[in-house]
Amino acid sequence: MAQRRIRGGKLMMVLCVVAMCRAVPINDLIYRASQQSDKLHALSTMLTQELGSEVFPIDRVHACHTSSLQTPTDKEQALQVSESDLLSLARSLLQAWSDPLVVLSSSTNVLPYSAQSTLSKTIQKMQEHSKDLKDGLDILSSKMGPAAQTITSLPFIETNEIGQDKITKLLSCFRRDSHKIDSFLKVLRCRAANMQPQMC
Amino acid sequence: MMTKVREVLLLLLLPAFVPHTDGTRYSLPGKPTEIKCRSPEKETFTCWWKPGSDGGLPTTYALYYRKEGSNVVHECPDYHTAGKNSCFFNKNDTVIWVSYNITVVATNALGKTYSDPVDIDVVYIVKPHPPEKLEVTVMKDQGWPFLRVSWEPPRKADTRSGWITLIYELRVKLEEEESEWENHVAGQQKMFNIFSLRSGGTYLIQVRCKPDHGFWSEWSSTSYVKVPEYLHREKSVWILILVFSAFILLILIWLIHMNSHSLKHCMLPPVPGPKIKGFDKQLLKSGKSDEVFSALVVSDFPPTTSNYEDLLVEYLEVYVPEQQELMVDEGKDHDGCLKSIGSASDSDSGRGSCDSDNLLMDKSGAAKEEQQQQNQEGDQIGTETQGPKEAWEKETMLCANEDVVSPDASSKKVKTWPSVFSPVTPYSSSPLDPHNSLEMHKQNCLSDTQFPPGSPSSDHYIKKALQSSYWEVCFNNNQPYPQTDVHQQLQAHSDRNISAINDGNAPSNLLLPTRMTEYVEVQRVNEENKVLLHPIPSGHSREEACSWVGHGDNYSKVKGVNSDNVLLLQREVVEEESMEMTGAAESCYTSSIAINTPKPTTCSHIALPVQEERILAVSGYVDTATMFSLDT
Repeated sequence: MAQRRIRGGKLMMVLCVVAMCRAVPINDLIYRASQQSDKLHALSTMLTQELGSEVFPIDRVHACHTSSLQTPTDKEQALQVSESDLLSLARSLLQAWSDPLVVLSSSTNVLPYSAQSTLSKTIQKMQEHSKDLKDGLDILSSKMGPAAQTITSLPFIETNEIGQDKITKLLSCFRRDSHKIDSFLKVLRCRAANMQPQMC
Repeated sequence: MMTKVREVLLLLLLPAFVPHTDGTRYSLPGKPTEIKCRSPEKETFTCWWKPGSDGGLPTTYALYYRKEGSNVVHECPDYHTAGKNSCFFNKNDTVIWVSYNITVVATNALGKTYSDPVDIDVVYIVKPHPPEKLEVTVMKDQGWPFLRVSWEPPRKADTRSGWITLIYELRVKLEEEESEWENHVAGQQKMFNIFSLRSGGTYLIQVRCKPDHGFWSEWSSTSYVKVPEYLHREKSVWILILVFSAFILLILIWLIHMNSHSLKHCMLPPVPGPKIKGFDKQLLKSGKSDEVFSALVVSDFPPTTSNYEDLLVEYLEVYVPEQQELMVDEGKDHDGCLKSIGSASDSDSGRGSCDSDNLLMDKSGAAKEEQQQQNQEGDQIGTETQGPKEAWEKETMLCANEDVVSPDASSKKVKTWPSVFSPVTPYSSSPLDPHNSLEMHKQNCLSDTQFPPGSPSSDHYIKKALQSSYWEVCFNNNQPYPQTDVHQQLQAHSDRNISAINDGNAPSNLLLPTRMTEYVEVQRVNEENKVLLHPIPSGHSREEACSWVGHGDNYSKVKGVNSDNVLLLQREVVEEESMEMTGAAESCYTSSIAINTPKPTTCSHIALPVQEERILAVSGYVDTATMFSLDT
């Protein structure tokens, strides 16, 4: 049902663009994207908190497969990044997590039974949201120029089932990356809504 | 050897030289706990710790941190900005999306104690300051006030650039003891409206905020607002409603009061009280049931006497008043039969053998006879018939009142039929003595009860000759008797003067030749005490029968009275149609009445010989013509 929704949303967007109907304004697109990223991060936060209290602490962050991507580390740096770069970063990060999420969804059995259902459900939702976000960002980037189209490849090596410690590490990495995406899009949103300060 | 002993002694005595403080033990400082770091704007952050016991010695605390991916240990740059037992990281020392590994070390003279390390990421520990510049104003919406609450984001939070996205929440409470806070989520807006206020109440309002993924801030300072009194309008509406309903109530009460009787009648229909004649409620209440019930007994019911004969009317006496005389019309041929048939609606009384109208006929004749005896008013016919009158053998006094001919005559009046006709039979036997007849008249005269009370002399009195073959039926008719009118009267069912007197002693030609007897039906007695007659229609048709009007045509001659008291008539049929009737057939004869006297109310006595040619038998009717003929 969610995939149908994703497909439907994408189809609608494509149709609109193709049929030269009134295009969705960028502001709305960005707003929608930021909402999706917000949900994505909220899901991951919920997941880590539930599992952390039940199973294992996951505050300790280790090196993620996306650490090679240079992202701003403070506010000044973040505000200096251009919109296109912000979008590119967001898209790259998002792209980097499509595979790990699949791996995560298939590796739930290593966890204690009580955590398995929570993990599988939440990961499924996260996948849906990330798919929606990806589609929206693709359209958005197409409107913002070639610089936005750049996606840094961040491959995820592990394809087999991973152990429990890997799961925890992945989940914590995903939490951070989803927060980055969300932050970037929200900065982008405020930048685009110059005439609508209430959006910021 | 001496040095070794000295060292041991020193070592043993060393604790003695150490200053003694009442048993206090010095120890290492306790481990700092509860390290909590917070960032208000995602640019700086502060960590606080809770120190453990100091171990009795001055203890110092130090915070060391290590960033992710590096092993370089840094110490807290600022221990003072954030207060005691805190470490403040300014912008330069703050990086985001990098986890910090923080450890607090407590140091005293005896040693150091390390706390448990804590990993934090600045972006996850954002807790902004509370919103600022909370303003509450009372505004009016069409007379109804509401509160408009507005605020500003905390000063340091950079929401303009989108670095921090804040969500606000406010809460409202009445300034009362038992009131509860009422929370409202305002989203990202910095303004909120509160409705449904209590008039004259004071409200407390607070607001707080939270980043999209962070912690709620503290509640802002309370803002007080007083709502003005505004319930005038609402109260006035209620007052109006109350007055209106009171008014309507008054009207309803008044209406009910006006119609109380009819309402009472409708709701509580009156119970009909006993209406027993002779029933005395008071007597019943007194408890004397015997007297009560005895009073109910009517003395005259059931009739205990056997005077049933008194109830029965022997005969009816009809008296003709002096002013009004019964007219006797008679045709030439005395075959006409006088017959009166009661109307269809006649009462059933006395229907057995005789008809009341017949009685009337007889009475009228008798009454006329008597009247003529007494009447001296230019009654030419009356004078003529004085003789025949005296020659009457018998007369039957019939007393009747005017109601006798009415269809609805009381039953008493017609009960005299059997006795009426019984004396008829010996008519033919012997002549009557008028005196006897008169006596008999008196004997058989009905009681006064037969007469309507207060009846004047205008009552018709009809006397019937008991034994006289002469009988006379006079009916008063105010109308003149032109012959032409008779026919009209016949057809118009008008009154008719009919008198038929069969005087066997006198030839018919002595009397008015134009007189004829005809069958009439006694219709009623009108208000002037006149017997109204209308001709009996023939068996064929009324019109046909009545078309015979002519002078001297088709007059029946009374032949005689047979044993059955049937008047035998003879009629000379001029026309083709013959009216032979049997049984209960009726015949209609037209009679032309020729009255010589100008007076319309004259009677003539005509005695006609009866020729036996035909027999007219009418059940229940006595044809006087037949009777008379027997005497001849």
